Amino acid sequence: MRNISSVLGRLAKSISVSLVLLFAVTLTSHAQDVKEGAALFKANCTACHKIDKKLTGPALAGMSERHSEEWLITWIRNSKAMVDAGDPTAVALFDEYNKLLMPAFTQFSDDQIKNIIAYVKDEEAKLAQAAAAPAGGAAGGGASSDANTFMLVGMAALLLLAIGVIVVLNRVTRTLEKVIANNQAAIEAAQARNEEHEGGDKVKFAQKFLKNKKLVGFTALLLVALLAVLGWQGMWNIGVHQGYKPVQPIKFSHQIHAGVNQIECQYCHGGAFKSKNASIPSANVCMNCHNTITAADHYNGETSPEILKLYRAVDFDPDTRTYGDNPRPIEWVRIHNLPDFAYFNHSQHVVVAGVECQTCHGPIETMEEVYQYSPLTMKWCVDCHKETEVNADNKYYDQLIEAHEKLKKGEKMTAAMIGGLECGKCHY
Amino acid sequence: MDSNKKYWKGLEELNQTPAFTESSKGEFAEPIPVEDVLNEAGLSTRAPRRDFLKALGFGLGAVTLAACNRTPVHKAVPYVIKPEEITPGIPNYYASSFNGQSVLVRTREGRPISIEANPNAVGLNQGTDAPTVASVLDLYDMSKLQNPQIGGKDVEWSKLDATVIAALDKAAAAGKQIVLVSNTVNSPSTLAAVARFAAKYPTVSHVQVDAVSYSGLVEANKNTFGKAVVPSYNFANAQVVVSVAADFLGTWLSGEEHTQDYIKNRDYKSLKNGKMSRHIQFESGLSMTGSNADVRIAIKPSEEGAVLISLYNEITGQSLSGGTTNAKAQTAIKLVAKELVNAKGSAVVVAGANDVNIQSLVNAINTQLGAYGSIIDLDNYSKQYQGSDSAFQAFLTAAKAGQVGVAFFLNSNPVYDYFKAEDVKAALAKVDFSLSFSDRADETATETKAIAPVPTYLESWGDESSKEGLFTIVQPTINPIFNTRQVEQSLLVWAGDNASIYDFVKQNWETNILAGTGKSWKDVLQQGFVYKGTATGSSYAANVDIATVASAIVNDAKRIAGDVELKLYESTVMRDGRYANNAYLQELPDPVSKVTWDNYAALNPKFAEQLGVGENGKVTVEANGQSIVLPVVFQPGQAMGTVSVALGYGRTKVGKAGNNVGQNAFPLASLVNGTVQLSAKATVSKASGTYELAQTQTHHTIEGRNIIRETTFAKYQKDPNSESGRFSDTHKTYDLWNKYEQPGHKWVMAIDLNACTGCGSCIVACNVENNIPVVGRDEVRRRREMHWLRIDRYYTIEENGNKITKEKEIAGVQDFENVTVVHQPMLCQHCEHAPCETVCPVLATVHSSEGLNHMAYNRCFGTRYCANNCPYKVRRFNWFNYWNDSRFDNYLNNEFTQLVLNPDVTTRSRGVMEKCSMCIQRIQAGKLQAKIENRPLKDGDVKMACQAACSANAIIFGDANDPNSEVSKALRNERVYYVLEEINVQPNIGYMTKVRNTIEA
Repeated sequence: MRNISSVLGRLAKSISVSLVLLFAVTLTSHAQDVKEGAALFKANCTACHKIDKKLTGPALAGMSERHSEEWLITWIRNSKAMVDAGDPTAVALFDEYNKLLMPAFTQFSDDQIKNIIAYVKDEEAKLAQAAAAPAGGAAGGGASSDANTFMLVGMAALLLLAIGVIVVLNRVTRTLEKVIANNQAAIEAAQARNEEHEGGDKVKFAQKFLKNKKLVGFTALLLVALLAVLGWQGMWNIGVHQGYKPVQPIKFSHQIHAGVNQIECQYCHGGAFKSKNASIPSANVCMNCHNTITAADHYNGETSPEILKLYRAVDFDPDTRTYGDNPRPIEWVRIHNLPDFAYFNHSQHVVVAGVECQTCHGPIETMEEVYQYSPLTMKWCVDCHKETEVNADNKYYDQLIEAHEKLKKGEKMTAAMIGGLECGKCHY
Repeated sequence: MDSNKKYWKGLEELNQTPAFTESSKGEFAEPIPVEDVLNEAGLSTRAPRRDFLKALGFGLGAVTLAACNRTPVHKAVPYVIKPEEITPGIPNYYASSFNGQSVLVRTREGRPISIEANPNAVGLNQGTDAPTVASVLDLYDMSKLQNPQIGGKDVEWSKLDATVIAALDKAAAAGKQIVLVSNTVNSPSTLAAVARFAAKYPTVSHVQVDAVSYSGLVEANKNTFGKAVVPSYNFANAQVVVSVAADFLGTWLSGEEHTQDYIKNRDYKSLKNGKMSRHIQFESGLSMTGSNADVRIAIKPSEEGAVLISLYNEITGQSLSGGTTNAKAQTAIKLVAKELVNAKGSAVVVAGANDVNIQSLVNAINTQLGAYGSIIDLDNYSKQYQGSDSAFQAFLTAAKAGQVGVAFFLNSNPVYDYFKAEDVKAALAKVDFSLSFSDRADETATETKAIAPVPTYLESWGDESSKEGLFTIVQPTINPIFNTRQVEQSLLVWAGDNASIYDFVKQNWETNILAGTGKSWKDVLQQGFVYKGTATGSSYAANVDIATVASAIVNDAKRIAGDVELKLYESTVMRDGRYANNAYLQELPDPVSKVTWDNYAALNPKFAEQLGVGENGKVTVEANGQSIVLPVVFQPGQAMGTVSVALGYGRTKVGKAGNNVGQNAFPLASLVNGTVQLSAKATVSKASGTYELAQTQTHHTIEGRNIIRETTFAKYQKDPNSESGRFSDTHKTYDLWNKYEQPGHKWVMAIDLNACTGCGSCIVACNVENNIPVVGRDEVRRRREMHWLRIDRYYTIEENGNKITKEKEIAGVQDFENVTVVHQPMLCQHCEHAPCETVCPVLATVHSSEGLNHMAYNRCFGTRYCANNCPYKVRRFNWFNYWNDSRFDNYLNNEFTQLVLNPDVTTRSRGVMEKCSMCIQRIQAGKLQAKIENRPLKDGDVKMACQAACSANAIIFGDANDPNSEVSKALRNERVYYVLEEINVQPNIGYMTKVRNTIEA
């Protein structure tokens, strides 16, 4: 119950916020172009600033009260010059934020900067109103674009629907029970007739069947054969973990990273291009982006709980933006397990043969959760080696190709032909 | 074609002892009890059907239960912050140095897994000795201390520091001596730290003492040249080498560097140019160096001086009294002297005795031969052995007198390796505070009050200077694993200096070493060394009072001369006992006797017969009032009336693997004229009981097959094909199998029997690279050692110029002093028509298109047919899970030590056959690198582990399809033959005939 009430609370809050937003936007849009400001802000400022929170730079709420507009314009355009010139406020600010310089934005016109300032003010106002907005409000309404809110509404509707269905079905049952009670005698007579007739047939069939030894034998044979086939197939799949999808300590989505954001596989799995291990990226690689990307817009302004797990791993405090000295490595669950006696080298396949990651790992860019796409059996390896043509551009193969041309003109040269099926290539 | 010589693997084979004939029948020592099971009693049991059903039911149930466990969940834990230089799966190499040699350390994911020579280094640069290769295991040794200790209890460093500083202050206030006892320290940083420490405490003195001392040589050079140094020897310039009891290819000074230089005048390249040096050895026990000599004369230890006096007389025409009376030696010396004089400027004499007079005489001879400058370099002298026996004596005296307040021991273990351990203990008892820097609670450390354990060189910052002008860096490849602290850091802390060790070493290099070289600190870290010396030394003339020296030698010989004389020697494998806990080294067979896991009394077989000692017998060896009981080895080549015993065994507090292996022979040494002497008058008597040594080479028989080809240099010069056995019997051969094309690579190997000295560093390198388990003494006795590569040693026995070629002639042999030895590395020959492949019922071993004989472990189910069918006896069967079985708790049975394993090679499990894979992981890695770089594979891109460890360049590997590869060139050599060529298995490893540069009288 507590869940539902909190859900309702949040629902109400977000709806009221969006209503207020709508209202506020219409109010302030005339003075400056808030829309342009928003675009500029998102493109240039979000890496380091938030309205209500310190990030690399200060929280921007209230900056118009703290500083004059001219000051802000000069500051935004070239903060370094200001610091160098010894502006006391600028120097204080500079010192406060670990002497990190804000990049100069000389390309901005005064108007553009004013737009940004207006956008910030606007956002600030929204936040203030959201905080002040009374809890509770009208249910329903399609003004919310928030995915979460939408889902909650849907769930509430479903609940109502379910209750409705239950009520209706109850009615129907009760009616039917009444009907049965009214015709009790007639039903019993019919049932008795039916049982006598059908029961006699079944027994006769079974007796006939059992007398025919050949048929029994044949059926038994069929059963045994069926079991054997099933057993055979089952045995072949022992140790084959195709589709293995363990729960990972962090709900990392390849669909978001590789799919939506189009991050190159190499960025995180650089090992695949150099080494036998594709290697899971170390947490510092994650922090390259997640230093600032907190996915807060999906979590109601809070940092995503999954990203917080990453912060925990590297012992990063997002408020002070400092690293502690108590990191805890992330213990991922390994999905692709080759037995120890099989040697596999990623770079051989990725760099030399030019195999796409997806060939073995499947449509990784669509996987919310990664699962084992390929069976990873030896048959699977061998089948591919029999068909995959060797990359003839590689100068290493020149000698082999020459020899091959002499032997079998025109035929393609596969990995198998140059020893790709020999035991010692993978087992040593 | 028949060889002119008959070869014996050992006396068992020569004598055809009953035990040998019995054991040579089967491939495996213990037959499978098939007969017992199938005999009547086994089959006619009371209720076989019920038992069968019970067994079946239990089996089914057990298997089902065992199969019921869920697939384990594997975790993958990436770095939190990945070090920039590490890519998982790719090795990193760091330049470092060990025992003065500049080496490259290969690390994987931050853990060191193997050591190879730095190919660009000055000095030894094409191989490493066995202890160096094996040293990586010492890093993962569980027997080391994990914390500093006071009185045997773990303490914090701060507590230890407080205690030590208090003791130091007390000693300083009382004006007592503070002594640092160490073995030779040539590290500039360590010396700088000692100096910094001495500046704080002025009563500090630094005593250097080596377990096996070269004081005599240093003293002699001081007397004759005024330079108290051990010279460095450049055998590359020596065409005639005479060694009197110096194992200069093995343990004498820097044996591995000598091997590299010495072989340059004897390998296939040199022979191709028609040149080969001549090497004459006079010695009592058959050393590795002696086994490689062209001419070897067995003499008693007391005759060493006499031989040198005779040699001096012959060379100079003088007639000093006291020359040798040994007839064999006299004839040899006459011929040798002529050789030496003819080769003036490229001839050298070396002697192993740690005796001032003998070394002075040698200096005089070498001056006559003009060896100073080109061969013996006194300018760029060696700094490896600076220990002074007399300085240690002085320390003991002062300590016993209560004058020493504090004593530190660094890499020094005198309670074990000083001949009078009680003296050391007594002295220690009188010292107010004693501390050892040992990495383990060893014999000396347990006698001291505190232990400040040091990390291994793989965890340390430091440097070495094994030679004047040569500076090598030691850089850590991993963080200190245990709570240890480098000695330099400790000394600095106690001197009140809180500089970090990195800053200290760096600053010391920048101010004292790098100045004027134009190199920066980073250059050094990358290159590993700086050389400021010259290419060759200048000429020196010894100033020796010959008459006095000669009479002193004659006098001293009387001390040793007797019916039985004892010779203590450093074993090539175990050295002075420092590495006794290294299981790889313990299982490395001695190059000559092939004994593992023990030392022994080596006796001439005839002498043993006189003593009444039989096979597996034991003797009591007594010398200098001390005695030890040792098992006997019948050693052909051993001088009559002598007994040789290896040092370095009998450690009691070194760790799991090395404790109580063999007997400690150091107590048999003595102090004469201020230097520790390793030869003495002795008595040898039969002791009760028997003891079976774990010898490897008695394991198979060669059935009289002609697998060694040997010629003399004179014959070779007439006809390079001589004795290679290739052209005498040409007959048509038939193939049972189809011929397959090998268009890509064809991996082959050439082994130069003339270059192989038998040292065995290739075996250890192979162990490290291929995760080959150590099996322990008992299993070696059962012929179950796992070495993929072994070095077979064959004897031929000569008497009065005749070769013993028939078994029945053995009875007539007077003594076994005249033997010649051939070392033959034997590994999987990767036969094109491999007999093992055809008998495997499951196709677990098959041929590749690159000419390799593959072994798929996961396919093998252990019928062992292949091992039975292998003519070379190179297949090894895993009788146990050696890395995971409490019965083999030598070294690898814990997760920590398992970190030494090469992650690119599978660890084989019980019931699986294995053998040399031709380092297929290296071949594959080399090919992949070429493919990634989009280029053809170059000759030299792929090096075998054994090849990389061989400083003699005896193993050449490469692609036979590349006509310009080194191996193709080597295999076109006239000397090449294939072992057991006649059975047409078409091996891919070619051997080159052994050439002996005998003196044709």
